[in-house]
This record gives sequence, structure tokens and C-alpha cells, in this order.
Amino acid sequence: MGTRIAEHPILGVPQKGRLVSFTYDGKTLQGYEGEPVAMALKAAGVMVHRYTAKRHEPRGIFCAIGRCTDCVMVVDGVPNVRTCMTPLAEGMEVRTQYGATAVPFDAGEKDEASAKDGGAA
Amino acid sequence: MKRYDLIVVGAGPAGMSAAIEAAKHGVHVVVFDENARPGGQLFKQIHKFFGSKEHRAKIRGFVIGQELLDEAAKLGVTVELDSTVIGLYQDKEVVVKQGEQVNHYKGDAIVVATGAAENMVTFEGWTLPGVIGAGAAQTMMNLHGVRPGNRVLMLGTGNVGLVVSYQLKQAGCDVVALVDAAPHVGGYGVHAAKVARTGVPFYLSHTIKRAEGTDHVTGVTIAQVDSHFQFVPGTEKHFDVDTICVAVGLSPMSQLFKMDGCKVVDDRRKGGQVPVVDDLGQTSIPGIFAAGDVSGIEEASSAMIEGRIAGLAAASYLGFATDDEERAGVDANERALDGLRQGMFAPKNRGKKVEKTEEGIPVSQTLLERGYVADSEIERFPGVTHRVGIHPVIECTQNIPCNPCQDVCPKHCIKVGSHITALPQLEPDANCIGCGLCVASCPGQAIFLVDEKSEPGFAEVTLPYEFLPLPQKGDRGQALGRDGKPVCEAEVVGVKRTKAFDHTAIVTVKVPEDMSMRARFFKAAPATETD
Repeated sequence: MGTRIAEHPILGVPQKGRLVSFTYDGKTLQGYEGEPVAMALKAAGVMVHRYTAKRHEPRGIFCAIGRCTDCVMVVDGVPNVRTCMTPLAEGMEVRTQYGATAVPFDAGEKDEASAKDGGAA
Repeated sequence: MKRYDLIVVGAGPAGMSAAIEAAKHGVHVVVFDENARPGGQLFKQIHKFFGSKEHRAKIRGFVIGQELLDEAAKLGVTVELDSTVIGLYQDKEVVVKQGEQVNHYKGDAIVVATGAAENMVTFEGWTLPGVIGAGAAQTMMNLHGVRPGNRVLMLGTGNVGLVVSYQLKQAGCDVVALVDAAPHVGGYGVHAAKVARTGVPFYLSHTIKRAEGTDHVTGVTIAQVDSHFQFVPGTEKHFDVDTICVAVGLSPMSQLFKMDGCKVVDDRRKGGQVPVVDDLGQTSIPGIFAAGDVSGIEEASSAMIEGRIAGLAAASYLGFATDDEERAGVDANERALDGLRQGMFAPKNRGKKVEKTEEGIPVSQTLLERGYVADSEIERFPGVTHRVGIHPVIECTQNIPCNPCQDVCPKHCIKVGSHITALPQLEPDANCIGCGLCVASCPGQAIFLVDEKSEPGFAEVTLPYEFLPLPQKGDRGQALGRDGKPVCEAEVVGVKRTKAFDHTAIVTVKVPEDMSMRARFFKAAPATETD
């Protein structure tokens, strides 16, 4: 899917920060420090950022400028983080958000955490 | 509570221009912006701007953005980033969320330049990951160097849809189609033509029926719509795509005006809810001004001028500029703004179908319906003439306010005249030296150099080229017509890049003599093709 542009005819070679490691649902991925978390995920081919609370529908990047909140995930344990606006840092733990938690729906039905209906509808 | 003479909301082209103009008069200014970087959308605009010198025509948007930031820094303008203005009250109190804190500020004058938000249309599957706004595509590829997808369908043929489609091609994406429910291309014909000639098909009077896929987009079905925008049964077409890009207009983000009690009206021509303003951008509350897209959707070029006017008016309101200074500055800026608001795409013509150019020439119907001027139509435009030896062929067929072609030619071969929307013409005694400056400078990429008989049986066509890999001298491939379909074999006989061309290469191809007026793009043979 989304891959990095090695060289652009107008913009040249993209200027990026240092390459750092982070985890996505426990898997180690790499991205550039300071770029939005959503861009590192996009470059790694991740499309689904979260599943909605009621219908369990997938959502991903939509506006990429912090307006729509479709791309929110659980970052370092904090839910509803707009990944398109959050700069990537070394060692970040990024998790798919189910409703308002990082607990998958079927596993979480017995879990207390998922009893709360999240803000991300 | 911290006080400032002037608080500007939004560090985009309008807000930064307002801050700069006010700071020039000694006003103590702060600009708040919710983003981590200033400049608004300018840094995503990688095409050359239209207009004339005073509008910074032929300069790319991101370069203009950097110039604005540099100028503001020199003047000591404070720009507070990651600062979301969440409240604006009648006594000019501004409430700003900064990090986890909410801070209160007081301004003696306020300029609101919050810009616009993208509109959306809904269709089956529109919430699937892979359906994105055109702005999101620009953010990914032009700011962060990440391709939005491999195969993309674009919905919307306004300037945003056209320009972003071209940019997607520049980023190396395959654009499979441009689709619009309207019967006619909404944006500049030249923007459409530069996409069409690369081979992207246009589907007007079509819209998306459904996005397909379970966890993300894997395909899309479009269908034709009738004059009441109802689907015509049996006209469905499927495309395998991983990305659907939506560019269906913008709406002013005018919520702050409602909060502070300014008079707001619904104005369809301006894109939605806008504050009522006078010719200085002042709202119904003295000392509160609006500038840029928030007061009516236009281009970044006009937003910058509106910003300068509002900044100057605020300086005058605060007593930092005399009435005479204000009048003189405003008059000059209003003339510049008036220049941009002329022609077929002027705000006053929005939604109207213009049938003839100002010169009385029938507008190309093929351009409106399929995105390119047909071979049978092109010869009726004044920039398209036949000469002996190399000469520019100017395929500029709609009246838009733009004249870099006239300014850049060192031999003064091209004439637009003092009326900036006039279609450019070649001077009768033009002495073209083939330098290519007009080809590279035309923001619409509508100028070609043609030598109709460079050697017996052959012609040479020089065209603008902004893609990678850049063709090399000696490469062989196909020449494509204006419609993006192959017309003949072609050989690259020259490639030129100079600093003055600003990243637009000019590529000269040798084609059979009878193709000089048809060959308008070069596609390398598959052996050297990468996409």
C-alpha cells in the first residue's frame, strides 16, 4: 500500500528524522522520529487504526490533519490519540483501538475495560 | 491574562500575511495555530501559482510559505504552535488550548483566518480505511513523503481534485480515473489537460456507487448519473483501487464568529457560513476581522491579499497606521485582489457555464466533458499558430488571471496585454530562440515549443515534464496526444533543466511531421518504464 517516496520530482529526497523502532500491536516496526505516527504506520502498510464501538467497523486515516478523529489509537496506554498529529518517538507502543480500549472485542467482552462505551463512536 | 495589540487566529497564508502587515506598522502581534508547523496548507501546494508578479505567480506554494515565515520572523511576529483557539468572545478575549492547559488572552484587535475544512460525500463503504480526503493525500505525499496508495480513484474535478491527481502521479501513484457527478470539469481546463495527457480518463456525470473491501478499500464501482443526480442503471464501472480520494469542495471554518456574536450569513457562492464583512474584512464587531477562506472559499493567492488588507486595517483601527497609509495600502491590495477575481472562474461566475471566451471564441466542450481540448478544437485559440521554425504553441483556452508567459520571454514573443485574463497570443514578429522559459514557467503547463519541420519528414515538440524518472536523450517511446492516447513513436532529442525552470524539466521529442500539433506528452517504452 503506502510506500515511501525515495525521490520526488519537485521536492527531492524527503528530509526525515532518525530511524527509530516502535511497536504496533506488539510487532516491532520502524519509522522516522518526529513524523506523525500515522505516517509510519501507513508506510508500513497498516490500514486499520481502530474498530468502532457499536458496529465494530474498521477506520483508518481519513483527513490526516487532526480534524476527523478516525485515526485514533491507543498510544503508550492512552486511548483516543490522534495518530496523524502525534509525533513518532523511539519505543512508542501503538495499539489498535477497539471502541475505546486496546482490548479486542471478543476477548474484551468479559473485560471490565470494555464495559465503558468510548468517545470514539 | 496576557494582552496583545493584535491576535491572529491561524498561521496560514491569510493569517501570516495579516500578521506581517500589522507588524510592519509596529503592532505587537501573536499568531495562534493548532498545528505543529505554521504555513497552513501552503506547504502542501507544490505547483506553480497562477496570477501575475504581484501575486507571486509561477512560484510554488511551499516556497511562498517559507517566504512568509521568514518575513514574519524578521518582523518579530510571535507564532504560537500547537495552540488551538477554542473560544472567542465579544470583548476580544481569546481562549487557547495549549498542551493540557487552557489559557486566556486579550487582543485589542483580532484577525480570524481559520481557513476551511474539506467537504465530504457519503456512499456505500465511504468509512472504509483507504477512503481519504484530497487534503490527506497532499499531507501524506507532499509533507511526509509517503504515497497515499498505489492505485487511486479521484472524486471531484475542481482545482483541488485536478491538482491533487497530478501530484499523485508525481508521487508515483497510478490514478485510474477522475470522476465528477457534475456534467463539466469544475476546475481550470489547463489543470485538467495536464492530467488528461498523461492518460488519466475523466468520467463526468458519474459518481461513486460503492467502495469495496472488508477491512480496507480493494475496489470501487462508479456509475453514470442523470440530470437529477440519480444513477443510470447498467452504467456501472469497476476499478481495482486501494485508495479513493475525495475532493468535493471546502467549507469555511467560521465557528469562532458565531461564538463572538458577529453577524454570519449562509452564502453558497462563498462555500457556506461566512461572517458579514466590509471591504476591509471587518466583521459586524469593530476590531474583529476575517481574512482568507474563512470569509469565502478562494485561492491562497487571494487569501494572502485579504490578509494584508485585514492586517493593515487592524493597524489603522489600533492607531498604528494613519488613514492615508491605510487607504493607499488597501487600494493597492484591492487592485491586486480585483485582478485575481476576473475571468471565467471569478467568484461572480461560480456555478455558471461559460460558453464563450472574452474574445468570443467558443469554449472547448471536450475540455469540459473529458478534460482535454480535442484536435479539432485547438486551432481556434489565438495562442495556437503555425510558423516556420521553432515557436511557442500556447494551449491556453480559458480566461484566467495569469500572465507569467508574457513576463518570462526574453524576446517578448508572447502577449497577454494589460487585461490579465486575455488569452495569450504570439506576437506577429515573434523571434523565438527556443529557450523554453515559457514552457517551464506556465503554471498551467499549457505551452509547447513546436518546430513543425525540424528535418525532412520530422517535427520537434518541447513539453514540460515534472515526473521521475526523467527521460534521457536517446530514449524511445510513444508520444501521447492531449487525450493521453498514443499517437506515434517518439524519440527524446533533448532534456533541459535549469534553475530558472524551478524543477520543471523541458523534454524535446522528435515525431513524424504530421504529429507536431498532436503529440503533447512522452511515455517511455516499457523497457525503461517503472510504473
